[in-house]
Amino acid sequence: MKDVSLTVNGNPVAARVEPRLSLADFLREHELLTGTHLGCEHGVCGACTILIDGAPARSCIAYAVACEGADIRTIEGLDDDPVTAELRAAFSAEHALQCGYCTPAMLVTARDIVLRLPHADEARIRRELAGNLCRCTGYLGIVRAIERVIAARKPR
Amino acid sequence: MVMRQNVADGGVGIGARLPRKEDARFLRGRGEFVADIRLPGLLEIAFARSPLAHARIRGIEKPVGREGDVFTHADLTDVRPIRAVAGLPGFKPSAQGVLASEKVRHVGELVAMCLAATRAEAEDLAAATFIEFDELPVVADVRAACRPGAPLVHEEWGDNLLLETVAEGDLAELARTAPVKVSRSLKTARQCMSPLEGRGVVAQWREREGQLVLHSASQMPHIVRTGLAECLGLDEGRVRVISPDVGGGFGYKGILLPEEVCAAWAAMRLGRPVRWIEDRREQLTANANCREHHYELTAYADRDGRLLGLDCEAMVDAGAYSSYPFSAALEPAQVASILPGPYRFDHYRCRSLAVATNKPPILPYRGVARAGVCYAIEVLLDAVARAVGKEPYEVRLLNLVPPEAMPFDNITKKHFDSGDYPESVRRAVAAIGLDGIRARQAQRDLTGERIGVGFAVYNEQGAHGTSVYYGWGIPMVPGHEQASARLTPDGGLELRVGVHSHGQGLETSLAQVAHEVLGIAPAKVSLVHGDTALTPYSTGTWGSRCAVMAGGAVAAACRALGERAKKIGARLLQTDYASVRLAAGEIVGPAGSVGLAEIARVWYRAPQNLPDDVDPGGLDVTIGYKPQRDTGTFSYACHAALVSVDSEIGAVELIDYVVVEDGGRLINPMIVDGQILGGAAQGIGTALYEEMPFDAEGQPLASTLADYCLPGATEVPAIRILHMQTPSPYTEFGQKGIGESGAIGPPAAIACAVNDALKDLGVEIGELPITPRRILAALDEAERGGR
Repeated sequence: MKDVSLTVNGNPVAARVEPRLSLADFLREHELLTGTHLGCEHGVCGACTILIDGAPARSCIAYAVACEGADIRTIEGLDDDPVTAELRAAFSAEHALQCGYCTPAMLVTARDIVLRLPHADEARIRRELAGNLCRCTGYLGIVRAIERVIAARKPR
Repeated sequence: MVMRQNVADGGVGIGARLPRKEDARFLRGRGEFVADIRLPGLLEIAFARSPLAHARIRGIEKPVGREGDVFTHADLTDVRPIRAVAGLPGFKPSAQGVLASEKVRHVGELVAMCLAATRAEAEDLAAATFIEFDELPVVADVRAACRPGAPLVHEEWGDNLLLETVAEGDLAELARTAPVKVSRSLKTARQCMSPLEGRGVVAQWREREGQLVLHSASQMPHIVRTGLAECLGLDEGRVRVISPDVGGGFGYKGILLPEEVCAAWAAMRLGRPVRWIEDRREQLTANANCREHHYELTAYADRDGRLLGLDCEAMVDAGAYSSYPFSAALEPAQVASILPGPYRFDHYRCRSLAVATNKPPILPYRGVARAGVCYAIEVLLDAVARAVGKEPYEVRLLNLVPPEAMPFDNITKKHFDSGDYPESVRRAVAAIGLDGIRARQAQRDLTGERIGVGFAVYNEQGAHGTSVYYGWGIPMVPGHEQASARLTPDGGLELRVGVHSHGQGLETSLAQVAHEVLGIAPAKVSLVHGDTALTPYSTGTWGSRCAVMAGGAVAAACRALGERAKKIGARLLQTDYASVRLAAGEIVGPAGSVGLAEIARVWYRAPQNLPDDVDPGGLDVTIGYKPQRDTGTFSYACHAALVSVDSEIGAVELIDYVVVEDGGRLINPMIVDGQILGGAAQGIGTALYEEMPFDAEGQPLASTLADYCLPGATEVPAIRILHMQTPSPYTEFGQKGIGESGAIGPPAAIACAVNDALKDLGVEIGELPITPRRILAALDEAERGGR
C-alpha cells in the first residue's frame, strides 16, 4: 500500500492505496465519482477521460499513486463550469448523446477543444475527437454541438 | 391526423423534435449504470476462463487456503444448464453448463468463479486457479466443421450441423435457359457488437422480500427473470430483475448470461451482494459473437437485368452453444427467409446451414442477418448490372416491388406493409449526384482519383409478433405488449413499460405519445422501465419493436385512462358521460370543463366530492396492444455511398453518404435521425474495420480496441438523411420500426462503391470488412491474372 495526496474537484484527498490501483478505479471506488466511466481499460476508447492538471487524460491507464500532488477534475467537478454548461445545452439540442456512457468523457474532450482551438472547423474537431469512441450517435451530433459552442463564443 | 409538429411552434407531441428528457442526468455524469451501484459488503467476481477452444477438463485446483472463495461446476450442482431450444425441424439443442464441467468448447468459456473484496484480488484468485486440460482437435471454420471426420463440438449430435434451413425451389430450368447467369462467393466477418459499456451484474438476496434482486445491463429484464428462475429452480416471484441505465445494447445484452446465473447463485449462497463487471478483454475474446456468413450465390436474369431467379448456399458460423432466448437458429433461418430483400422475382432456392464451431455463441446483432444478406444480394445485383451493361440503380428499379403492388407478399411470404421503394432509389441517386460522379470518373486519367459509387436498398421487418415468433419455437414469443398509465395525485402521469430504453430515447418519445392522447405536457410524464417488479411483462427491447409496440401500448393505456377520467369528469361537471370529451388535458362538457389534474386531485384526495356510484376503476390502467397485423412493419431505405480508393495503400475514404429512409410516421424525428446515424456508423464499421479473426486453434486474434477497430469521428462522414413518411397501415400512428435499419445498408453500399471504383481493373472484393490488405491482395491477384 502507498500513500497518495491529490486534489479532486477542488478538494484535498489523502488515501492509502494499492500501487496497482488505476486512477479511474480510485475515483470510482474510493471517491464514489461514478461519472467517470470505464470502456476498455487499455487507453483506447476514451470513456474514462478526465482532466489531470487541466489537460485531458485517460484515467484507466494512469495509476492513482502516480498522481501525487495532481489536480484532478472529473465530470462532477464541471457542474458549474461555464463552457461545460454551454456544451451540455448544445449536446442536448444536437442529440449528441444516446446511451450516455461516453458522454461525460466526451464533454471533457469537447471542453478542451473549445478552449484550446477556438477556430476549429469540422475536420479539426473530428481529428481532435479521434480519442473518444461513441458507439451510438455516429458522431454527427457531437461534432455539431462543439461547432455550435465554438460559433456562439466567437463574437465575445 | 395530427400534422407534424415543431417544438418552436410549441408542439411537443408526435412529430416534434423534442429534446430528450433523459439527457440531463447523463450530461452531468449522474446516470446509474450497473457498475455504479454500491451495496454494503459487495464482493467482486472474476472468472477463470478457458484459454483453449476445445478441451476436456481433467481437474481444477483451487488456490490453497482460498478454496472457499472459488466455485466450480462441482459446487453449482443445484443449477440447471442454459438450454435455448428452437422448434424448427432438425434443430439440435445444446446444454450450456454455466460453469464448464467435462469439456470446454470455446476460448473464454467460464470454468471457475472467484470472489474477493476487489476485482483485482478476484483476478488474482482466477490466475491462481489451475485447470488441467486434455486438448482436443479444434473446429474453427465452418467448411472444415462440415467435413466427414471433423472433430465434434457436441459428440451427441453426431455431426456439427446445428440447423439446415431450406427454401425449396426448382431452378434447373432457369439454369439452362436464363440469358444472364452471375455467380459470386461472399463472406462476412465475425464481429463483436461492442457497446461502450460491457455487460454487468449486481446480485443480492433480500431476505425481507424473499427475493433475489439482480441488477443487470439487460435489454430484456423480464426474459432474464424467466430464464434465471428456470436455471436456479426458483419461483419467478422470488426473482426481480432491474435493468438500470444501460450503455448501449445492439443485441449484445439480449441474452440470459451464464455470468448472471453464477452471480445470482453466489449471492444466495453467500448471503452477500456480488457483482461481475465485464471488461473489454472478456468481451472481445470470450464474446465476439455475430455475423459470420458465407455465401455461394447465383442470380439468373434476362438481358434487361430483370431477376428471374436466385440460388443460394449459405453457411452461418453458429459457435459453440445456443444462447437464451434467441438460440443459434434465428440468424441462419433468417438468412433463407430474407435474402430476397425488397425484390420481386419468381424462382428462389436457398439452403442455409448453421454450423457449430469452437467459437463463442452467436447473438442477433442490430439488423440480425440483414446486414449480411443485403450485402450479398446487392453485390450480386451490381454484378448483374455489369453483365447487362446497365447502371446498378436501373437494375434495382427494374426489380423492386413497386408501390402499386403494396401491400405485397413476397416469395418467402413476408408481408411488406407499405411504401414506395423505387422512389427511395431515385431520391438517393439524385442526392448523391450520380451524373456528376460518372463525369468525375471519366476524368480519372487527368485527375488520378479513383472514386466509386454504390447503392444498397433493403427493407426491414420490425415489431413482428406472435405469429412470426411462434413459428421459431424459441423460449420467447411476444404477445400483446402491455403498458400502464397512472395519473398521480398532483396530475402528473406515470407510464410503466416492460421494454427498456438504453439510448433509444423512450423516456421522451413515449411521453410524446402520451401527450398526443391525453394532452399532458411531456415534462409531467415519467417513464418507469427496466424493472420486473414495477412494469408489465414484456419480451423487451429488440427487433425494432419499441416505437410500434410500446408506443401502441402507451397510446392504448392513455386512451383507457382518458375514458376513466371522462367518467369522473362527467360527474364533476354534473353531466352525462356521453356528453363529455377529452381535449388538451381537460374533460370538456357542454357547459364547462375540468382538467385532468383536478380530476386526479378529487379521486385521490377529495373522494367525498364523488358520488357513491362513481366508476371504481380509478386512474391507473394496464392494457395490452397488438398492431392490426402482427407480421411486422417494413421500413425501408436506400443508402448511397461515394468512396475514394487509394490503390497504392488500399485505403478507402468515405467522401459522401446519403440515406433515404422511410420509417412511416416519425414520433420524434430527431431521435429517429439519431438511430439512423448511429446504425449507419456501425454499418461502416462492419464494412471497413470490424473483424474478430480466429486462428486454426480457435484463438481470438484481437483482444483490445486497438486491434478490433471501431469507427471513430474521422471514419464516419457527415451522413445526410432524407425522409419519406409512408404510414404503416397497421400501427397506432403509422409508425414503423427503424432502430436497427441504419446498420443494414452500409456494408452493401460501401462494397458496391469500392467495386465500382475498381471495376476497370476487373477487381471485386468478396469479403467484409474491406481492409487495405484485402484490397491490395485483390489488386495483386488481378495484376498477376492479367499477365
